[in-house]
Amino acid sequence: MNGYGFRQVARMEWVKLRSVRSTRWLAAGTVVAMAATGAGVGLGYRWHTPVATAAQILNNSLSGAILAQLLLGALGALTVTGEYGSGMIRSTFAAVPRRRTVLAAKAAVGGGVTLAVGLAGSLAGWLGGQLAIAGTAIPTAPLVDWTNLRPVLLTGVYLAATALIGVGVGALVRHSGAAVGLLFALLFVPSFAVGLFGESGVAVGRFVPLLMLLNSIAVTSPMAGLFAGWVSALVMCGYAAVAVLCGAVLLRHRDA
Amino acid sequence: MIELRELTKRYGDRVAVDRLNVRVQPGVVTGFLGPNGSGKSTTMRMILGLDAPDHGEALIGGVPYADLSWPLRSVGALLDAGAFHPGRSGHAHLTALAASNDIPASRVERVLRVVGLSDAATRRAGTYSLGMRQRLGVAVALLGDPGVLLLDEPVNGLDPEGIRWIRNLLRGLAAEGRTVLVSSHLITEMALTADRLVVIGRGRLLAETTVAELAAGHDTLEDAFLRLTAPTTDHRGTETS
Repeated sequence: MNGYGFRQVARMEWVKLRSVRSTRWLAAGTVVAMAATGAGVGLGYRWHTPVATAAQILNNSLSGAILAQLLLGALGALTVTGEYGSGMIRSTFAAVPRRRTVLAAKAAVGGGVTLAVGLAGSLAGWLGGQLAIAGTAIPTAPLVDWTNLRPVLLTGVYLAATALIGVGVGALVRHSGAAVGLLFALLFVPSFAVGLFGESGVAVGRFVPLLMLLNSIAVTSPMAGLFAGWVSALVMCGYAAVAVLCGAVLLRHRDA
Repeated sequence: MIELRELTKRYGDRVAVDRLNVRVQPGVVTGFLGPNGSGKSTTMRMILGLDAPDHGEALIGGVPYADLSWPLRSVGALLDAGAFHPGRSGHAHLTALAASNDIPASRVERVLRVVGLSDAATRRAGTYSLGMRQRLGVAVALLGDPGVLLLDEPVNGLDPEGIRWIRNLLRGLAAEGRTVLVSSHLITEMALTADRLVVIGRGRLLAETTVAELAAGHDTLEDAFLRLTAPTTDHRGTETS
């Protein structure tokens, strides 16, 4: 009874997150996009010669994450910028003057929800791929095999991390359009820029989000020169932590 | 009680609030008056810790707002009629804020009834009329049954019935011993609602008085107010011919 704390603020953020339609649309969009990509990949390989490998199907059927990272990144950013855009932020900070507690609760609730959605999307991608190749000679990729389960799980982690980067970016720029634009730039531009490094591109590329996703995290075995999947996922979580911390520093001193 | 000590806010080289010293007492409605741009809203935002003062402090019952254990249970505020997410229902808006201060869900239903929004509670707040938005803001202010109420221009957008409702509500809350600070630029409305008046212009305190004292010696209260604030009124129109 000695005052509000993280628990109360997290409950507030949970109510907020599930009471706006954008959350439902972006979450549903994530799962549908990944399922459709997985199914599309599977169908594309059905008549492919030579017969595709299990790894090929799995790796490619998770590539819906390229779109999903933007949807969930936007979901994360909107938890902050949606409040600045509407004026809700003043109600929030009047109820909870400790602003870093608000951001921590947004990160925890948003991170938890997007992890669940990301894992659901990732599973849907895998399932879409597997169903689409049913009845063909293409070998399946059962999830009881850790080699197959690992990329599915890590892709979910990657997607939650992009949502947290969205939360941090949202707190930095406080504007929905600017936040989504900046998020898009952060996720895509570095992967093009890697080409400028020529021979040493891989040394840089293994730290670039999109390249980590496509060549290390969402694949059964990482491309030469890149980190193991779980290390890449940790690097993404590190980026997320930095983004949220930067947001927290600025949030404290600005007028709301 | 609300206490402002040397409260000062600058935006660049413009001083929005200038060394304001005011005590707002419980048990009466205090009207916070001033022309447009006189610093009323800035002062209220500083009391709520939303804007940081450049100098001085604002205290609620002796402590800064940020140090309150359960802010919504101590201070209820209506800042502007748009401090909600348009896609969220009025009910969800109140439920979220209640959760942050461990306020029971029964209070949400209660304040919805008090402000007359029970029937519209599940609609998205973005579809509300201006008067309904004000009512939702008042519901937020009442949510924690606070001893201190701050309302910035609460009658904006309300119809005559709503204006009278707000007036009676505020007077009733003050009669229960609460501290009630209501800002307005409408002196005639304040004359009907407030007991005490705090008048500011260009961020400075012009008068701390009662309605009767301010009106004394003038034809109308409006004349008295315009005389008092004339040197600090920034934007003035002229007649068309």
